[in-house]
Amino acid sequence: MSLLHTPPNRPTGKSVQLMTTCLCDAFYSDVAKATVEILDFLGCEIELPDGQTCCGQPAFNAGDWANSRKVIRHAEKTFSGDKPIIVPSGSCAAMIFHGALLAFEKEEDLPAIKAFGERTWELVDYIVYGLGITQWPGKFDAKMTFHRSCHLRGSRSPEAVNALLTSIEGVDLQPIDEVEQCCGFGGTFSVSFPNISEKMGELKIENLTACKPDVVAAGDMGCMMHFGGMMDKQGMPYKRMHIAQVLRDSLKNAGKL
Amino acid sequence: MSSDREKIFSAIRAALDPLPKRTAKPEWKRELIVCNPSGEFSSLKEQLADKLAFASSRYCDSFDQLAETLKAENSTFGYCDPELAPLFEKLDGITFETEYDVAKVNEYTFGITKASAAIAESGTIVLKDGDTSSRMGALTPWIHIAAIKESDIVATIPEAIDRFGDDPSIVFCTGPSKTADVEGILIEGVHGPGIQIGFILS
Amino acid sequence: MKSKQKIDLVARDLTNEVHEANFIGAKMKSERRYAALGRDYADPDKLRETAGLVKQHTLEHLDKYLEQAEASFERNGAKVHFAFDEDTAKKTVLNIMNEHGCKSMVKSKSMLTEELELLHYLEDQGKEVIETDLGEFILQIDNDHPSHIVTPIVHKNRRGIAKSFEREGLGDYNDDPETITRRARAHLRQKYLDADIGLTGANFVSAESGRIVLVTNEGNARFCMAANKVHIAIVGIEKIVPTDQDLGLFLNLIGRSGTGQQLTVYNQFIGGPKLKDQPNGPEHMHVIFVDNRRTEVLASDCREILRCIRCGACLNVCPIYRQSGGHAYRSVYPGPVGAVLSPLLAGNRFPELADLPKASSLCGACNEVCPVNIPIPDLLLRLRDKAKREGAKEAMKGTPNLAMWATMCSQPTMWKAALTMGHTMNHIPTQLIPHPSAMSWQGTRKLPKFEGGEFRKWFKNRK
Repeated sequence: MSLLHTPPNRPTGKSVQLMTTCLCDAFYSDVAKATVEILDFLGCEIELPDGQTCCGQPAFNAGDWANSRKVIRHAEKTFSGDKPIIVPSGSCAAMIFHGALLAFEKEEDLPAIKAFGERTWELVDYIVYGLGITQWPGKFDAKMTFHRSCHLRGSRSPEAVNALLTSIEGVDLQPIDEVEQCCGFGGTFSVSFPNISEKMGELKIENLTACKPDVVAAGDMGCMMHFGGMMDKQGMPYKRMHIAQVLRDSLKNAGKL
Repeated sequence: MSSDREKIFSAIRAALDPLPKRTAKPEWKRELIVCNPSGEFSSLKEQLADKLAFASSRYCDSFDQLAETLKAENSTFGYCDPELAPLFEKLDGITFETEYDVAKVNEYTFGITKASAAIAESGTIVLKDGDTSSRMGALTPWIHIAAIKESDIVATIPEAIDRFGDDPSIVFCTGPSKTADVEGILIEGVHGPGIQIGFILS
Repeated sequence: MKSKQKIDLVARDLTNEVHEANFIGAKMKSERRYAALGRDYADPDKLRETAGLVKQHTLEHLDKYLEQAEASFERNGAKVHFAFDEDTAKKTVLNIMNEHGCKSMVKSKSMLTEELELLHYLEDQGKEVIETDLGEFILQIDNDHPSHIVTPIVHKNRRGIAKSFEREGLGDYNDDPETITRRARAHLRQKYLDADIGLTGANFVSAESGRIVLVTNEGNARFCMAANKVHIAIVGIEKIVPTDQDLGLFLNLIGRSGTGQQLTVYNQFIGGPKLKDQPNGPEHMHVIFVDNRRTEVLASDCREILRCIRCGACLNVCPIYRQSGGHAYRSVYPGPVGAVLSPLLAGNRFPELADLPKASSLCGACNEVCPVNIPIPDLLLRLRDKAKREGAKEAMKGTPNLAMWATMCSQPTMWKAALTMGHTMNHIPTQLIPHPSAMSWQGTRKLPKFEGGEFRKWFKNRK
């Protein structure tokens, strides 16, 4: 029930730039691969700017805005142009089109940063509301729960995820309790408030696994690294997938990839 | 040395001067805040009855029924607005005083005073100083009976606010007094009435 | 687990009893809020958005509305006072009491009076002050502080309250909530009758008509203005709204947002002393408008926090508040609103409370439930920036230094080198990495496998 804050009138079109995210660059290469594979499938021409690193969120959330600006400026230059920028992460997208506006409020290059944000799309938001895809022609027999990460608030990504997942043949998407409760990642919060972060993670895991799903899906690897890391430490059996991987695998299952 | 008033006003102005633009007051229509109806009703009185119950108040429009209710609660002695006395004298087995005596604060088991209005959308009884013969009489007894004229029932809160006039003490009463301070458990009847009755005079 | 942040340690060390009481209470109120708004309005967000704009507009024209309110109250026969700071506010209350020869005060709940520590000040001056709200009364006899701005004793259970009542001579030990409430009713009744002055806060002030608005359930505020002759309303300058009709918007939001009630039991609109023919009630009304650094907040880039109508919805939904409880915030206002307001109202003691804005994952649930749409996460971020720039040490404890990270992120060759070198992580016992963040992370989580460079290589080689 957040008021919408994604930028209006973002560029659409199939010639795109891909922002991998620092987490996928370092830890989750298959998520990035799956993102490319599904954008490929949709007929997109994908440019992967080589100099990309991070969106600047870790320093921004920690209050170190000076260092955050350093990183964002580099990102803006790396992604120069006017193509839509697609990123498989709600939090990175929100950092660029919302957080950056705060960090650059008093800076002279605010207009350039604003323009950067006004081209940025979270992946599923782009697929459904940028490209207009509402039915996903895949097959995936699984009971699933989806972790709606906090930075999808104020966007239409949750609706987009719902539309796509429920349209996949075989997917049994189950609702979870306490959707509005954060998983406890919050960037550096997870290490500076470890006790509270752990309690929040436990509650989120309980809610995500209450129906004993086959797959727990999410759109943000930050969240998943945190509660997934807890699940791994406890030896829990649930398969975890990024939404891009679900979409890609469903196409493979249907013989379309 | 400037007064506190001057300090505050100049601090406000200093704070607001640098703002490049100011937020305009939004226009909004009354319908925005009117509650979804809880059912279909053929009159405001009917809707009020429904919402009074929802708020844990009681609806009554029969003197006989009121007398029975008071007897069932062992509440046969109370206070009544002298202007309402001729009407409520007919309550069988019930006695009251028309001048509130503070010394009897714990003896009055009920208080009958005039309501100035009632709000159908929320089950609210409106009391104003001008129509309330005694604030203590309306507040202190366990049972408060608010005498409401049917013509004083309004549909919505904005309409009730339209009728504020310049009375210095207006109270919206939506239910009996209550608290959930102890472990979140709801208890009715704290400092005010434990039973709130809306009595409709036709 | 070890931690450098105070609020995290409080959460860790809470007794199960207090934790459960706090958690369940908060969750229940959040659920009721959601149910009430969904049942009663087709588009609750529209109300929140509108209410937020009305408040923002008022704050941005506060001089005009405060002046209008002052004139309206005076027209109604109330006396208006201004208090720039805490000391003046307290002295003004004392002076009014002395002017009217008052020795014993009954008061209704007011967070502003907690801010001012008014109760202890007046008692030190030889006055008797009795809190009449049940929760506040219990806190008074326990010499305790509220842990929630709406339900102040959510951290207490019936057994503790029963013991306190026994200690105070209110009867033998009895922990039945109804009995506790009836005993308080009987005990406080006499206090209302014996007192010679009533003091309230105000949830809202209508500038147009010169009325304070009180939002209560117990009937205690009514009683404070029924049995004695003098009424003081002490209120923060930010509580003003333009018109009586605007009050309808806020009243419909505050009950539902805080507890899921359509309206609280009593909404009082008090615009002056009693009418001449009314036998009961105050013959004198004083309104004290208090600043106490609110104009500093108005001047800051966090001024939206002044929209707050003190409903408590943000506390109830906040996952951090649910784990730590209100006392963890070490200040009058806890939870998300407190994490912004308390450090700002602390003035130059900001560093002492600068860790409060860090106690958040920035999830945004608070903004989502706020009836006046305060962008709390943005304000928390601004205060984190302020804390960093001003070197507030408490705030930064436990947060890794990100200067090196930022350098690496702005030099692609360094970044790519790290992507290569990071593979060593997969071959060492990572639990032994002596970096505090790595140790904190691995206290409860496994680190993922390092895959740096693999995606880029794959992308280059595809096709």
